[in-house]
Amino acid sequence: MQTTQTPLPPEAESLFGRPTRAKRTERWVFMLIRAGTYFILACAAAIFIDIFYKGAQTVFQLEFPFINVEFLTDSPQTLHVFEYEGEKMEMKDSDFRVFKEETGASIVSQTYAYSGGGIWPCIVGTVLLVVGAMAIALTLGVLSAIFLSEYSKPGKILNAVRLSILNLAGVPSIVFGIFGMGMFVLAFGWNVSLIAGWFTLAFMVLPIVISASEESMRAIPQGLRDASLALGASKWTSIRTNVLPYAMPGILTSSIIGVARVAGETAPIMFTAAYALRDQLPWEGLEHWYDLFFQGVMALPYHIYVVSAKIPQNEYTSQMQYGTAFVFLFIVAGIALTSILLRIRMRRKYRW
Amino acid sequence: METDVPDQENRYDLSTRRKSFLGFTKDDLLKGLFGGNAFVSILVLSLITLFLFKEGAGFFGQYRDSLRLYRLSGLEYVETMRQEQDALSALNRYLNSIRTLQSEKLVDSGMDFMQVKAALRTDEDFYYAFEDLAMPLRDFVLEANDIVGTARDSYVEMLDLKAHRQNLLDAGRDAEAEALKITEVDLALFFNLVKSRESEFLEINRTLEAAIPQLLAEPPVYDDLELNAKMERFQELAAMFLEEVPDFESKVTGWDREQPIGMGNALTSFIFGRDWVTNSSIQDWYGIVPLFTGSLLVALIAMGFAVPLGVGAAIYVNQAASRMEQNIIKPYIEFISAIPSVVIGFFGIAVFGTLVREISNWEALSWISFFPLSERLNGFTAGGLLALMAIPTIFTLAEDALNNVPLSYKEASMAMGSTRLQTIVRIIVPTALSGIISAVLLGFGRVVGETMVVLLCAGNRIEIPRFTEGLGVVFEPVHTMTGIIAQELGEVVHGSIHYRALFVVGLVLFIISLLINYVAQKIVIKFQISRG
Repeated sequence: MQTTQTPLPPEAESLFGRPTRAKRTERWVFMLIRAGTYFILACAAAIFIDIFYKGAQTVFQLEFPFINVEFLTDSPQTLHVFEYEGEKMEMKDSDFRVFKEETGASIVSQTYAYSGGGIWPCIVGTVLLVVGAMAIALTLGVLSAIFLSEYSKPGKILNAVRLSILNLAGVPSIVFGIFGMGMFVLAFGWNVSLIAGWFTLAFMVLPIVISASEESMRAIPQGLRDASLALGASKWTSIRTNVLPYAMPGILTSSIIGVARVAGETAPIMFTAAYALRDQLPWEGLEHWYDLFFQGVMALPYHIYVVSAKIPQNEYTSQMQYGTAFVFLFIVAGIALTSILLRIRMRRKYRW
Repeated sequence: METDVPDQENRYDLSTRRKSFLGFTKDDLLKGLFGGNAFVSILVLSLITLFLFKEGAGFFGQYRDSLRLYRLSGLEYVETMRQEQDALSALNRYLNSIRTLQSEKLVDSGMDFMQVKAALRTDEDFYYAFEDLAMPLRDFVLEANDIVGTARDSYVEMLDLKAHRQNLLDAGRDAEAEALKITEVDLALFFNLVKSRESEFLEINRTLEAAIPQLLAEPPVYDDLELNAKMERFQELAAMFLEEVPDFESKVTGWDREQPIGMGNALTSFIFGRDWVTNSSIQDWYGIVPLFTGSLLVALIAMGFAVPLGVGAAIYVNQAASRMEQNIIKPYIEFISAIPSVVIGFFGIAVFGTLVREISNWEALSWISFFPLSERLNGFTAGGLLALMAIPTIFTLAEDALNNVPLSYKEASMAMGSTRLQTIVRIIVPTALSGIISAVLLGFGRVVGETMVVLLCAGNRIEIPRFTEGLGVVFEPVHTMTGIIAQELGEVVHGSIHYRALFVVGLVLFIISLLINYVAQKIVIKFQISRG
């Protein structure tokens, strides 16, 4: 539909004469909205560049192995800033204690909470949350979508169900958060725990997974199913061989979007699953195997909230803040990019 | 696509009956599995709705009881007196600010401490005299508040004890229940104690009415123009206060303790209440107006940026951009929606808020009345960032709508000799308008429901933005409905009135978002382009 204008040859230019007023306004307006468009891109780029530039200083380093392993594998600690023999030093809490013992000097230090150490427990917590929540959401969501698209009888009820699922997809995440808090944390007595977070996040993405999966199944022409049934295949066989394979890319994209959403949201886990600080990793110090589910975890998005809202902004704390934001943005943006690229490929592949 | 066929040997054997289990074939069982899952999903999703309603519904009853107690205990009665006292203290604060300014000016003129003190002495009598005037009223209000406050607290304690006793009786622990000593508290008794001293309050007012004009007759006169202007303003304010005194009085004398408080009062107090005060020693107020207007203000600021930019970008990409630009810009803007909100909020705290404040300090902008800003976190900071979150939604949906306009429309218009801009303005945008409007609505819904950005960047001051101040209102710190849930939910007691109030706020958000989604869909369906 694009009408790219080729430059007119000189004789044509004389034929058309000077550009009319309408043409000139058109040029100006197009320039204006073009500037607006690039302004949006520039604003987003400013955020990316700011976080990647400042975050990279924490996450990467100049010497071998080029990645700040300590930042990625240590747990968050208090940062001590102090002067020792005329030198200004920064140390995380555990090093600081050793240092104090070795030198035997009494050192007065300024402390900054959460600013030392690394973010390993947060990464672990986020991965656990995403895996569990998506397992629940995908099982429930995809199977429900198969039912709604293939088995259910079209009618008013189905339309109403579809409409309400679509509407629920737009409900703010904090509403799911307050629901999860009231239902799982308090009414069920699960307290702040992985499992409460799983269910809260799963229910948050459930409408998205259902409606996207169903849509990709309904987009498959009825003819494929009919042909399969006409050859004597059972209903399930025809779904398995003629619907699901072609709907799979769509389901996959929608589930990747779901992953990005689950990983990126803070509001639902603030009260259901996330701790601001926890010394142990999830698999440490368990009495029973099922205790794994009933413990809170640290999570990257909540950690960013904590380090940006609860501690002051200065040169010592900003390393931790930007480093966490960098890692988090990298993970979520990576997932999202995968889904976008996949969708572009898919659009080219299947055109009915 | 690979297709694996499980029962290889039976594949062409049509006469073999399908295996069945308890009379169900495999297909039936699978259908049951899918149906069961769909049932669970729908059940769960409707459960969310029900649960929100259930937890929220209890709020109004509890709030009514709280308001009733507020009235019966007489706290409401004393509150009017307190308002008068607050007005008087505000006057005193203003006077103090004059005094501070005066001493600052004296210090600036090069005097040392003793000289300043000596110079101030001449005017000090006036300041002190005014301060003394406020004393009797303050003492009276404090005492009255003490009485009714204590009465209310012990009344609540009595109710708690009674409930506890009932629990014990229900559990069959009669002996323990008997051991509980409960003193009956008669609220009316305490209230009458205060009411009987109403004449004292009136007397204090008489004194004020007599003494203030007397004092104002001889105001201090300064050598400084600014100070004199301020003193004049002070006199005006004092006169205004005196005019208000009869209002306070009539409110106090006309107050009726017996006036009933019903569900309606609780409902209106929530919907139209202008205060959201929690953990107060006097009375907690749960009025949604400051939060609602805060959310609205932030959303409007965001939409002010996002609508022109988002729709403009959609028109540009769909109608004017080259193919290469399209292929880059579309995924890019889609990608923006993947930035987690907490990261954008962090960016707001770390960079954007500071930037906004620094720009407001520029000399070139000093002509704007509300610049420079004192707060770096305000409605504008949050709104600007939220715009970036709304743009992908608006852009994607609006672009879709534009894409759905049949090409023949455009071709017909171009064939009539109109320019591309004329075609866009007269043909394409009007045809796609329903889609664009629903895109804008959904973008609005996204902005209203966003939590982390407003929690981090909106400043979190629970006050109704002063819309009468003109454009400066956008730079005020505000609190929002989503923000208040995120901020206060962590510290509430399960089942308390505060907990339920937050659920009602959540319910309001839920309803707003459902409404927006519903309207957006209706608009699209109703004004669908017929391709006939």
